[in-house]
Amino acid sequence: MQLVDVLAGALVVAAGAAFFSGEAALARTDDLHALYWLVVGVVCLRAGVQVARPGAKA
Amino acid sequence: MGAQRLLGRLSATGAAAQASVPGAYAWAVTVAPAAWSRGAPTLARVAAVAALLALFGGIAGERAWGARARFASLWAFVLASALAWSSAPAALAPLRVDSLRGLAGMLGWALFAFASAAPALPPLESRLDASGSSQGEQPAPVRAAWSRRDAAYVAVGTLLAALIQTVGWGVATVERALLVRFTALAAALAVIAAATDVALHDRSARASPSPAARVRRAMLPLLLLALLAVAGLMFASRG
Repeated sequence: MQLVDVLAGALVVAAGAAFFSGEAALARTDDLHALYWLVVGVVCLRAGVQVARPGAKA
Repeated sequence: MGAQRLLGRLSATGAAAQASVPGAYAWAVTVAPAAWSRGAPTLARVAAVAALLALFGGIAGERAWGARARFASLWAFVLASALAWSSAPAALAPLRVDSLRGLAGMLGWALFAFASAAPALPPLESRLDASGSSQGEQPAPVRAAWSRRDAAYVAVGTLLAALIQTVGWGVATVERALLVRFTALAAALAVIAAATDVALHDRSARASPSPAARVRRAMLPLLLLALLAVAGLMFASRG
């Protein structure tokens, strides 16, 4: 296992944590924080998949 | 034997057909009771029927147009279900109170998310042919190709998706509860899809470019992530 594979897995886990925080903020009607964490989650997922994908185009 | 034959037929049809079973279950537990509850408007019933048509239409669509039709069917089903819920918001109040039905619905949607986002099972015949026997000691190549690490990636993704579903069940406002449920479902779908993507591509890592090239390729989202982190820290420091 290469370090970038660990990075990809960590980014997906971070995305899950960010989505969790976003949902929690959304539930307590804290929309600004919710939006921030949901965007962080989406970007983390995108980065994780890009790092993991061997044959992906830039 | 009947169950094995049914599983064989299902695995031969494709991802949309495999996802249709838990999707229909989630629809029956959460969407149909809301749409056909007392006082629910016609729009809710129309949306519920449209959701079911989108779900099963995805099976034929996938055969004709491939994965794009499956993607369209998936989101048409989710959006139509959301429309049915939002058209009959009062019907969701008993759903929230009934914890057993809520749990069954959460399980149904989690199964649907997993079946939609994970890769389709290969046809049963090909697995049996590859192994030579259905009861042999040697594992089939398809199953052997999934290493423990791949399974761990998918398991972690599924666990994260399930954790996301645990948030927001005690929200008092119906509209807010709907919004939380819908975004939680979308987030769970995205996490499972990404975890599966990471697992599948990690398996073919021998043919991958260098680690530096892979990080360079992800530079744009990584830079955006760094910007978001800095913005978040600045926002937090201002109180």
